[in-house]
Amino acid sequence: MTTAMNIIQGHSPALIVVTFLLFSYLMPVLDSWKKNWCATLAIAAHVLALFFTGILAWQVFTTGTVTYHMGNWPPPWGIEFVIDYLAIFMLTTITVVSLLILIFATKDLGHELKAQVSSWYYTLYLLLVGAMIGLAITNDFFNMFVFMEIAAISACGIIAIKEDKECVEASFKYLILSAVGTGCVLLSVAMLYMVTGHLNFTFAAEALVPALELYPNNILVALALFSAGFIVKAALFPLHVWLPDAHSSAPSPSSAILSGLVIKIYAYAYLKLLLKVFPGDIFSMVPIYDMILILASLSIFFGSLFAIVQEDIKRMLAFSSIAQIGYVFLGIGLANQAGLTGGILHIFNHALMKAMLFLSAGAIIYCTGIRNIDQLKGIGAKMPLVMGVFAVGAMSMVGIPTTNGFISKLYLALGTLDAGKPFYLGVILVSSFLNVIYYFPIVINAFFGEPGEEPENDIPVKKLPLEMSIPLVILAAGILFFGIFPRHMLILVERAVAIF
Amino acid sequence: MTDIALKLFDNMYYLVSMVLFIIGFHTMLTHSNLIKKVIGMNVMDTAVFLFFVSTGYVAGGVAPIIEPGVEQTYINPLPTALILTGIVVAVSVTAFALALIVKLYHHYGTIDAEEIMRIRSTE
Repeated sequence: MTTAMNIIQGHSPALIVVTFLLFSYLMPVLDSWKKNWCATLAIAAHVLALFFTGILAWQVFTTGTVTYHMGNWPPPWGIEFVIDYLAIFMLTTITVVSLLILIFATKDLGHELKAQVSSWYYTLYLLLVGAMIGLAITNDFFNMFVFMEIAAISACGIIAIKEDKECVEASFKYLILSAVGTGCVLLSVAMLYMVTGHLNFTFAAEALVPALELYPNNILVALALFSAGFIVKAALFPLHVWLPDAHSSAPSPSSAILSGLVIKIYAYAYLKLLLKVFPGDIFSMVPIYDMILILASLSIFFGSLFAIVQEDIKRMLAFSSIAQIGYVFLGIGLANQAGLTGGILHIFNHALMKAMLFLSAGAIIYCTGIRNIDQLKGIGAKMPLVMGVFAVGAMSMVGIPTTNGFISKLYLALGTLDAGKPFYLGVILVSSFLNVIYYFPIVINAFFGEPGEEPENDIPVKKLPLEMSIPLVILAAGILFFGIFPRHMLILVERAVAIF
Repeated sequence: MTDIALKLFDNMYYLVSMVLFIIGFHTMLTHSNLIKKVIGMNVMDTAVFLFFVSTGYVAGGVAPIIEPGVEQTYINPLPTALILTGIVVAVSVTAFALALIVKLYHHYGTIDAEEIMRIRSTE
């Protein structure tokens, strides 16, 4: 018994990834044998992962950063996993939000997918979550590349699995653009390996300081390629073209995990590289932070503008994601204590909000089949719970106090003032107004709008199953809880930021 | 002038891989034929692999199989090993992309991206 505990304690960084990979490959086997076990086992994988995350969090809080050497090969040679406060933050966000989305998916998938592919969906879903967790804790360039490719293929898979016209086209577009992204990342890994001879982040960072004197061009090109690659993957403004189609046509649980977590993990990986790997001197050679700030502002502004004119609710939410990823990058670009706190906290907050909004859109589609925003008039009376949580999410998107969106925007605003860049405070304010323009009419129309006389308003409303309403309520409660008591998450984020 | 030419000749692998990268990138983003896009993607990936492998090459080096008593220069085997994984990844992405193209052809009756855009906008 004690040996089992020792194995779990000593190997939990690897076990957390292995759990997801193992369970994901169990699904196709179970598919032909015990089909109805798949959903339960997928949830069990998440619960196990939560358990390992808990152990890791406990270890990090008591003894500091945990490192794990794959196959007991010490780092410069072997692959190293490093779990610090930032990684704990990311692990918690990923496991909790994806567990809630999965619970919702168990009912919603039967409605959106053909019966024979529903267990394959769990394979792809668990692979995606496992790859994201790997990305969050890896400390090795090539390992990062492999996890990025796993995440890309499985993300394309959970878009295309519906096999209708829009999904396949959106998935192909995403696949091609993410291949551009990973191609750029691998090339820049090669450039850094050329001058440092290391693939480990820590060792590469040490070797890059003298290398910057000798081969500045090489490292600058590597930085540019990294930025391009991660910006494509995270869908920042000029390179966002794949996102609206992909996130709006996919099944609702896929949209929720793609918008809520997948684009954020690349922002997080980019942040880690900028702050941990690249030497500080490089930022005086090229104004990379200013470029990020400009792209982030454009992303915030245009994402919101495009969202206003959309008619399809999921498409609107997808454009809103482009605006919201802009906030995360704004935090990275400000690169001071308050700004980074706001940006990183927004990863968690936006994961809660956007997952909830996509799931409630999914619930509306499940119950009524309506996707068009104009037809949502008066739906609040028929589906008070779903529209109620939607209203909470909308308020959080705008950043009304007592919701968690307010906290991260507050820290970002403080960050702009600390950095002496009040222009970006204006960007945050304008974007909040734009958010009001496209979120509030939906909520107001749903509750107070008079339903028209069109025949489609008489369609019967299906009852929402318990499995679908519980995640919505938990996510909405989370939004309010972390809005009123932000202290718990802030402690974690502030410790994460303190290491930079 | 000859100086630059000589330097480029010395680093020919890097030069060629950059040219290949740009060819692949250009094909991938400008051609509307989906198969050509996938081919462009493969050319681009191959360019990156060539670049990565050539970072480990030592002039006159041999594969690192150590024979006792023989003094030799060895190449760096690590990039080669990594690129083996990279090739596997590229193959699976290609396979998936081609499978999606088959599905697209079923739905739209064409593999031309512009044609697909036109069909989608008229619907």
